[in-house]
Amino acid sequence: MTLSLAIDTSTSRTIVGIIDGDSVLFENFHEGATDHGRALSQLVAQALKVSAPPQQVVVGMGPGPFTGLRVGISFAHTFGFARNIPVIGICSLDAIDIKEDEYTVAIDARRKEIYWARYRDGARVEGPSVSKPAEVDGFIIDQYPDMKKLVSLSATQNVTEPMYLRRPDAVPTAERT
Amino acid sequence: MQPIVLGIETSCDETAIGIVRGRTLLANVIASSVDEHARFGGVVPEIASRAHLEAMLPSIERALKDSRISLSDIDAVAVTAGPGLVGALLVGVASASGLAQGLGRPLYGVNHLAAHVSVDYLTHDLPTDPTIALLVSGGHSSLLQVDDITRSITKLGATMDDAAGEAFDKIARILDLGFPGGPAIDREAVNGSASAIDFPRGLTTSNDWATRPYDFSFSGLKTAVARYLESTPSFVRADVAASFQEAVVDVLLLKAIAACKSSGIDSLVIAGGVAANSRLRALATERCEKAGIALRIPSPALCTDNGAMVASLGSLMVSAGRPATQGAFDADSSLKVEQVSL
Repeated sequence: MTLSLAIDTSTSRTIVGIIDGDSVLFENFHEGATDHGRALSQLVAQALKVSAPPQQVVVGMGPGPFTGLRVGISFAHTFGFARNIPVIGICSLDAIDIKEDEYTVAIDARRKEIYWARYRDGARVEGPSVSKPAEVDGFIIDQYPDMKKLVSLSATQNVTEPMYLRRPDAVPTAERT
Repeated sequence: MQPIVLGIETSCDETAIGIVRGRTLLANVIASSVDEHARFGGVVPEIASRAHLEAMLPSIERALKDSRISLSDIDAVAVTAGPGLVGALLVGVASASGLAQGLGRPLYGVNHLAAHVSVDYLTHDLPTDPTIALLVSGGHSSLLQVDDITRSITKLGATMDDAAGEAFDKIARILDLGFPGGPAIDREAVNGSASAIDFPRGLTTSNDWATRPYDFSFSGLKTAVARYLESTPSFVRADVAASFQEAVVDVLLLKAIAACKSSGIDSLVIAGGVAANSRLRALATERCEKAGIALRIPSPALCTDNGAMVASLGSLMVSAGRPATQGAFDADSSLKVEQVSL
């Protein structure tokens, strides 16, 4: 199996894992919506102590609040580049592990909105999208990406662009009133 | 052995990678998102941050190619930890952490402002610390006393309102000269008269010289230019540009040279994006020669934000035996200039 360093910073948590097939050799997280920068390199340092050098990096590409999200992706890119190992991107919502046939997961998107996606029989059937909570039926919130599931998805998925789902807030000078 | 240091700068809208060996510049790659910001009349932080992430790896690869070294030759990584736009800084810091941890090399989190001053050491002879430094850019305008670029910088004064570069941007906008304003006004001013209009020099009354001799203010100047344009329908754009530029440059140099004289330090470094301004360079040369002050201004390409300056400061820190940044650290958007490194 491929020994993987797993990273996700799409939520208020900074999550790091070392996964070898079905074995979780390391998984730890730090809670703090503005702490990703500081927490990530500490968690990775801990993770690297418990395992042989990873053979690939698997990283959550969001959706998620932009600033924190980019910390994980930026780190994953350069770490993989430095080690000359592949970096594989995964939709972070896909990695939230819910043991049901049909479900909808959501995470906080701030501004009174949620990022969400719907799943049936293990496949994403709708989303990821950003919406008002009232517009989405029966979603599960406050769950976080699971590093083992994140890595398992790397066999079938590779998201190369961050899943921002929103445009930057800015109004061109010509359109200002 | 001279250390090979890779520097990463992402404090504003330039994704910049520099590589130095000791004090020799090997690569200076700059990917700018400035064109994406132009229609907004200023830098949009989220656009800049997205562009940093996109440009990071291609820029690092390009810098390695330009410098003809391989990744394993890098002895240390340096990164701008602040001040700057926090979301933009974080892309740089996270990228630098990933690179340093991936390579197993030390990481130096350094101050953007100190790095601007330190880039001069790549183009001129050995640093003549102590020196006075005038740092002028779109985000900062300050006068510094540099006793040791790797650990001891004192702020003598700073702008109370707009940065000098910001004033250039705003005046360029009302003159319809486009963004960024610095180069646009510089070009327009060539055909105008610097003495056509007597615009005010901020904070230069005798009371100001007594109480805050090294602080700057450009908001009064900005208002004066706007009023002049309103009351003078037949204004000559080149004259306004030249006279405005003269007012900024004049006051910057008055205060910088006063700082040299009162501190007894006969050395001046001018750094930051506004140091690329041709009138500032010319007038500084003239006045410093008259005052017996040794003037050093980096080449224009090294004045604007770049990665070489970060690599330069990192390299000076390695050579001086300064410790690498211990443990994990965050970007600090309001990092004070006195804090040269984390």
